[in-house]
This record gives sequence, structure tokens and C-alpha cells, in this order.
Amino acid sequence: MAATTESVRADAAEAPLLNKKNMILGSLLYVVFYAWVRWYEGIYGWSAGLDSFAPEFETYWMNFLYIEFVLEVSTAGILWGYIWKTRDRKVMSITPREELRRHFTHWTWLVMYAFAIYYGASYFTEQDGTWHQTIVRDTDFTPSHIIEFYLSYPIYIITGGACFLYAKTRLPTYQQGLHLQYMVAVVGPFMILPNVGLNEWGHTFWFMEELFVAPLHYGFVFFGWAALGVMGVVNTEVIAIAKLLKKDLA
Amino acid sequence: MSASQSAVRSRAEAVKVSRTFDWLILFTLFFVVLGGYHIHYMLTGGDWDFWTDWKDRRLWVTVAPIVSITFPAAVQAVLWWRYRLPFGAVVCILGLLLGEWINRYMNFWGWTYFPVNFCFPSNLMPGAIVLDVVLMMTNSMTITAVIGGMAWGLLFYPGNWPVMAPLHVPVEYNGMMMTLADLQGYHYVRTGTPEYIRMVEKGTLRTFGKDVAPVSAFFSAFVSILIYFLWHFFGKWFGGTSFTQSS
Repeated sequence: MAATTESVRADAAEAPLLNKKNMILGSLLYVVFYAWVRWYEGIYGWSAGLDSFAPEFETYWMNFLYIEFVLEVSTAGILWGYIWKTRDRKVMSITPREELRRHFTHWTWLVMYAFAIYYGASYFTEQDGTWHQTIVRDTDFTPSHIIEFYLSYPIYIITGGACFLYAKTRLPTYQQGLHLQYMVAVVGPFMILPNVGLNEWGHTFWFMEELFVAPLHYGFVFFGWAALGVMGVVNTEVIAIAKLLKKDLA
Repeated sequence: MSASQSAVRSRAEAVKVSRTFDWLILFTLFFVVLGGYHIHYMLTGGDWDFWTDWKDRRLWVTVAPIVSITFPAAVQAVLWWRYRLPFGAVVCILGLLLGEWINRYMNFWGWTYFPVNFCFPSNLMPGAIVLDVVLMMTNSMTITAVIGGMAWGLLFYPGNWPVMAPLHVPVEYNGMMMTLADLQGYHYVRTGTPEYIRMVEKGTLRTFGKDVAPVSAFFSAFVSILIYFLWHFFGKWFGGTSFTQSS
């Protein structure tokens, strides 16, 4: 009994398998931040975002763009650098319980990726449609682009990169090489950002009307398909977790 | 790790862990698929889906089912064939509709002030339910592609008809005959989208009478069958668990 008591004490003292606090704080970070961004768009889109030659456009939108560039590069560097620097060099010798705990942490990252992908690919991309079909663009850096292309896309790239790096540096499941579908799920949506180059080149070259289904946009479509790679990640995780649990859950 | 060790200490804990992962997986899958599906759909069929004056009897009926059967086919290929979960198509459509409705309220109406009854999304749910039920009942990819894919195309217009019918009644405005949906587009000007790029029914299909929507729906159903086959195999590939060996 004494040993059992010790064991229970040890259990109580150890970190929980799923850190719910991190999950809630992370989710709130995305939701509250993007709520603030949407508020900013609503206020300054109409009052300062219609004419890119106006001084107020420089104040409220170009400065926003410069600040987000700096913050994104810094965040990516610090976050990815931290995950890599603190990698587990003996990842294959961790205990099954520690491995399960890390799978939970990995899924906390994947849930954040889900938030980031939703806001980037769904919310701010279709929002860009209604903005440009309503307001005639006179610059590549429109208010909707400054949020969609240069804020929400980098954020899901940073989050996706963090997910992939976490799995690669801390989970035995991902040590046998590079997981193809995981790379597709992260690199594909990442490629949407370079594809902005094609998009802006086309819009500038042809200065065309705002047909959202124009073939110029099909690069976004192709790379958007890559999000389906998350199914391969799910399948890999299910296999790994089932092995760890070793229990008949039927 | 030791091959004989379990990561959990009791069956109850194993069940709890497993259920927690179920929720994490469902949440992540739902929103990531939502994002990929939404960007695909808005950029291949979006204009017909955004505005009621694009929701005609020919091109909307043709384009929307063809481009929207893609992700449901791919997700079914994983959820049914690996886990026997019969809701791959419905979960895709739920995600797409959630993303679209949030956007139409928060942005189309909330930012650019188009009324929601001018920019509500198309209803794809009837086809999704049939697609899932056919797969569940037959356990056959071929039958699902042929019967389910055909139903997907054919059910699209009837599934949207109760919502669209009131907007297709004719009105006379300044001496011109148009539909109420056209009149909405006339009043709610989209500066970046001039009228001449609107791709809607031009009337040539009426050569065979007035059966524009059924002919379009059958053509759409035919292509939807082919697209289902193709995307089923895309889904199988995306659901793979292969590793590339680093050199």
C-alpha cells in the first residue's frame, strides 16, 4: 500500500497529460487577436483605406503592414528557434507516458493550427472577395490584403511550422524520416503566400475586374488542397496513440 | 520506449484519453478541412455562390455541384474507408456552410453592407446527406460515385429552390423585365464587378424548350460522378502515412 500511495503522490505531482490552461489561453489568443483585427478593419478600412495615395492610408495601413512584417519575422525566428534549440536529443528513449503527454501537446499545437487555418483560408480570404468586389483597388497593399496575405497567412505558416517542428523534435513517431502528408499539410498552405506574387503580378499587369473565380486565383486553390494532408497526420496519430494506449477501448 | 509498457494506468484512463483525442481530432479536422474546402470553393464557384443575381438556372446549377463534390469525396475516402464513420460529406458541408455564413454576416454584411438575403450561400446539405447514406448503405465507392455523385448534381437545384424561388419571380423596372435577384444586383452596386462580367444564363439552352435547369443539373451530375472518382483517390493519397527518408 505504501508503494501505491507513493505512486499516487507521484501522479498528483506530475504534469497533467493535457495542459488545458495552455489550450484555452492559446485559443483565446487567436480569437481575441482576430476580433481586434476585425474591429480595426471595420473602423479604418472605410475611413483610411480607400485611397492608397492618402496620408492617412500610410498612417493606418502601411504602418500596420511594416509592424506586422517585423513581428512575424521575429515571432517565427524566436518560436521556431526555441522549439529547435530545446529539442530532445534522446527522443527515442522517453517513457510511454511522456510520449503520450507530448502527443497531447502536439495536438494543442494542431488545434492552434486549425484556428489559424480557419481565419486565414476561410474568414479573411472570403472577406477579401467582398472588399475587392466592392472597392476598386489602387495598390497591391489594400486593407484586406494587409490582413489576409500579410497577417493571417504568415500566422498560419508560423503555427504550422511550429506543429511540424514540435512533432519532428519531440515525438518518436516522426523520427523515421519526414512525414510526407504532414509536410504537404504545412508546406502546401505555406506556398499560398509565395503565390501572392503571381496574384499581385496578374492584378497589376491586367488591372482586371474582380472575378473571384478568375484562373489567376487557381494557384490558391491548388495549394489549398494541401490542407487535406491533415488527414494523413490524423491517421498517423491514431496509429501512434492506439499503440501507446494498448487498451481495448471497444 | 518499452514494448510492454502502456502509457495509461487503467482502462478508465485509456478511455478518457481516447475520448479526449477524439474531440481534439474532430475539432482540428473540421476547421482545417473547412479552411481548405472554403478557399477551393470560393475561388472556383464563389461568384455564383456570393450573389443571388448570379444564382441562375444554368451556370450556377452546373458549376457549384461540380466544384463542391471534391472535398466530400476526399474526406469520405478517409473517414469511411479507415474508420467507418459515415459522415465525411456532411462534415465537409457543415464546415463550408459555417465558414460561409460567418463570412456573409460578419463581412459581406458587417463590413461592406450587402444585405444577407442578397449574399447568402448555396445549400449543399441534401446532396451531402445522400452521398453519405449511399456510401453507408452500399459500402461501395463505385456505387457512391455513380448514384451519390449523380444525386449530388441533381439535388442541388431542388435543394436551393425554396430559398431562390421568391427571388426568381419577374418584375418590371424602368420598362425592363428582370428577376427580383437581378433587381437586387442593380441596386447593390459592386464597383469592382461590373455587370458585363456577370456570367449567367444567356438563353441558348432554351432552344430545347424551357428546361434549362434540368439539363444543367444532369450535365453537372455527370461531371460530379467523374470528379468523385478522381477526388476519392486524392483523398486516399492525402490520408497516407508515408515517410520520406532523408538522404
